[in-house]
Amino acid sequence: MIDTIEKEDPVITEEEAAQYDRQIRLWGLDAQTRLRGSRVLLAGLGGLGAEVAKNLILAGVKSLTLLDHEKVSEETCRAQFLVPVTAQGKNRAEASLERAQNLNPMVEVHADPGRVEDKPDDFFLDFDTVCLTGCSRDLMVRVDQICSQRKIKVFCGDVYGYYGYMFCNLGKEHSYVEEKPKIVKPTKDSNDGPEAKKSKVDPNETTLVKKTSSFCTLKEALEVDWTSEKAKAGLKRTPVDYFLLHVLLKFRTDKGRDPDPQSFTGDSQLLRQIRDDVLETLAVSSDLLNDDFISYCFSEMSPVCAVMGGVLGQEVVKALSQRDAPHRNFFFFDGRKGNGHG
Amino acid sequence: MVQLVGSLRRELADSLATCKVLVVGAGGIGCELLKNLVLTGFKNIEVIDLDTIDVSNLNRQFLFQKKHVGKSKAQVAKESALQFCPSANIVAYHDSVMNADYNVEFFRKFILVMNALDNRAARNHVNRMCLAADIPLIESGTAGYLGQVTVIKKGMTECYECQPKPTQKTFPGCTIRNTPSEPIHCIVWAKFLFNQLFGEEDADKDVSPDTADPEAAWKPEETAARAKASEKDGDIKRVSTKQWASSIEYDPIKIFNKLFKDDIMYLLIMDKLWKKRKAPTPLNWQELEKRACPQEEIPVSGLKDQQVLSVWGNCQLFKHSVETLRSQLKGKEAGAQLVWDKDDPPAMDFVTSAANLRMHVFSMNTKSRFDVKSMAGNIIPAIATTNAIIAGLIVLEGLKILSGEIESCRTIFLNKCPNLRKKLLVPCILDPPSADCYVCASQPEVTVKLNVHKTMVLSLQDRILKERFGMVAPDVQIEDGKGTILISSEEGETETNNSKFLSDFGIRNGSRLQVDDFLQDYTLLVNVLHTEELERDVEFEVVGEAPDKAPPPQSSQKDDNNITNGSKDSAQPSTSSKAPADDSDDLMIVDSDEEEPVSSSSATTASGTKRKHPDAETGEMSTKRPADREEERRRRRQ
Repeated sequence: MIDTIEKEDPVITEEEAAQYDRQIRLWGLDAQTRLRGSRVLLAGLGGLGAEVAKNLILAGVKSLTLLDHEKVSEETCRAQFLVPVTAQGKNRAEASLERAQNLNPMVEVHADPGRVEDKPDDFFLDFDTVCLTGCSRDLMVRVDQICSQRKIKVFCGDVYGYYGYMFCNLGKEHSYVEEKPKIVKPTKDSNDGPEAKKSKVDPNETTLVKKTSSFCTLKEALEVDWTSEKAKAGLKRTPVDYFLLHVLLKFRTDKGRDPDPQSFTGDSQLLRQIRDDVLETLAVSSDLLNDDFISYCFSEMSPVCAVMGGVLGQEVVKALSQRDAPHRNFFFFDGRKGNGHG
Repeated sequence: MVQLVGSLRRELADSLATCKVLVVGAGGIGCELLKNLVLTGFKNIEVIDLDTIDVSNLNRQFLFQKKHVGKSKAQVAKESALQFCPSANIVAYHDSVMNADYNVEFFRKFILVMNALDNRAARNHVNRMCLAADIPLIESGTAGYLGQVTVIKKGMTECYECQPKPTQKTFPGCTIRNTPSEPIHCIVWAKFLFNQLFGEEDADKDVSPDTADPEAAWKPEETAARAKASEKDGDIKRVSTKQWASSIEYDPIKIFNKLFKDDIMYLLIMDKLWKKRKAPTPLNWQELEKRACPQEEIPVSGLKDQQVLSVWGNCQLFKHSVETLRSQLKGKEAGAQLVWDKDDPPAMDFVTSAANLRMHVFSMNTKSRFDVKSMAGNIIPAIATTNAIIAGLIVLEGLKILSGEIESCRTIFLNKCPNLRKKLLVPCILDPPSADCYVCASQPEVTVKLNVHKTMVLSLQDRILKERFGMVAPDVQIEDGKGTILISSEEGETETNNSKFLSDFGIRNGSRLQVDDFLQDYTLLVNVLHTEELERDVEFEVVGEAPDKAPPPQSSQKDDNNITNGSKDSAQPSTSSKAPADDSDDLMIVDSDEEEPVSSSSATTASGTKRKHPDAETGEMSTKRPADREEERRRRRQ
């Protein structure tokens, strides 16, 4: 629904207007008002999580809850700038709280050291949007299902070395507005010279058009039957990164962690094996994904986190502010090619 | 055997720890870039920025907090970034990169230079410094949802100045002074008016009715006669606006009646102007005051800046702002001036009210202070996410350069929404240098069309060599066999030449000038093409460029999207195009060129077609965008 602005605190203060000036000039006051009424849950405070947290706090959501049960370690916090260097061994969410809050005192930032897996279904009802990073495939599918039944918007994303992906499910019917140039008809009073007699597109005037779009669940998006004729026809247009994602999620499920540079040789071998298995199970060609990816998918790489966190953060902003067409529904980034597509 | 440090090859990680890089700019892109560099493992970073922190930066420049407002961006950015990696060695300069201290030798210290700038002058300069020092440069820019990264390497790629950039949009003097038809014309007029009253007077930025308007078609003798007939106006015109305002002690009501009553009535006498236009309606303070009902001014709830005031509301704002500015001026020593600044409330109030009153006089819908500020201040909207994405891409290109794979570098465009091939980020192959580039060619040369009898040496220096050709301190020698020095960058050597005309030095059609900028290590040969036939208000033209080489057909749309230079770009009140607030940039992001089909997995296959893109220069936006529909269609037919 687009007409929920009046839910609470409808008026943007002068202080907010000053701080958010440059973005209000981009997405408008209504969008900013919706943002500042939105509550977001962010699970996973690795490098990507930190980027997403930064972007949402700067944008000015009402509240952001940082949820993470893991401890700070050198490898998992390589690209994590919210955790102080002195926080080794502490909980990642709690260690990120102070710097996250300093980014914008007008946003309520909370830290929750619990596990996503242990949260009851009702827990998610407190949020307008849930964003998951570093979670297992089963967990993401479960949370996505809980949330889509309750009209909570879901985002998932991860960074693996030079690769990153994002998925979003904004529900069966996501409404938003889009800005279009206005067709201006000349009025009697207007004084634009003789050339202004006919209607024209006025670049200075725009109008907002209401639209809706529909999303599938993560389960549906991951469980495509590649033996069906329809899927086969679409295979050519499906980025190989989609299959790479299957491989990396399978690795996470099997090992309970992501590929680790410390065990490069073993993990490389395992990745190769999982790649072969995944492609066979999906019944797609075994040469779809060559060995090239293997040595480039270790650890979270800071600039890739920045790109993915930017794309993911902006999609969350769009979804919450119900402004502009959302990205549907996967986005893949390959940092070696600079390629970013859905 | 591959060994990894994090995601990186060990050899690459090791080289990051020892190399030294330069970041130019610690603003929107710069803050994100510093964070990424430090987290990626860069240890020796120098950063330069002349700016200080403003509250409107805080929505994206995340290394800064409210307590830092007013402090040096470079210094605070350094301190904040060090918290991410205390062992890094960061040097901060609170200074302009165009300062002579940062010479070619300075640039040679670095293995890589990264621009995170918001204006063309500095981009041109760093481009030249990197060409002179032969150091690879990563250039970048953002504007709203859009962004771009590209790599510049001498002799291998296009330089920043290989493609002509659209010049800042200006409006003809008579549109501003006599026949405004859009709100922007009234806003530009109001900014000129501010300077005429309180700031530095500029003869080119007059605000009074222009009797020489060709459209009014008055004969000179007629003009004189009419001027005489209008006694009041004649009086005013003999002294400058500022002297007159001062003589009436900046009485806001007298100023109001001159601007919105007498001057408008004078315009009405120029009856030819109103044959095909709606004539303006003069305003009279005393009458408005009588008609004003007190209820009208009950304050409305909500943000003050967002309200559109009534005519009387604007009158009040005008009166109040003139009074405030008058006392500001009084507080200064005699002869002092005020400088217009969009962030100075009375200055912004003045421009809002004066522009709105003029809009009302010319039957336009008036605007809120918020909207007027967008246009008057050339504010380019900016968000954290776009800057984060672009800064991430900069580091990824940088890593390719440091791995010795510069040939795999790309220009990457960030679109607002995915293009027809579903790409949000579009890599394009780098173009080779343009053979006739007036900067990076082996012997740069240009031809300038001007009137040697009317062009003064000072305007050759300031308008042509500095403003148009981006030099900082040019030396000019005439190739007349004697080596006459026309301009010397040494203080006190050639100042006496400034107000003389080029013809006074024997410069005529076909003369050649050798221009050197020692700081930029740049020499340009200027061929003079004398002409008597330049359009009104045009001082010179660069041959082979606008209008003949200007962006192709769809340029009218592009103009609307081009938010030319950032407000910091020049000291002069900018007349550049439109407000970015109602950004309609999806016009720009039509499908763009791509180096490869989506299905291909090799990074090296490139489509053979290559094209020149018209440039979209915006605040933090840098070079060019693929937006050429016509070309795209042509390419598809192939």
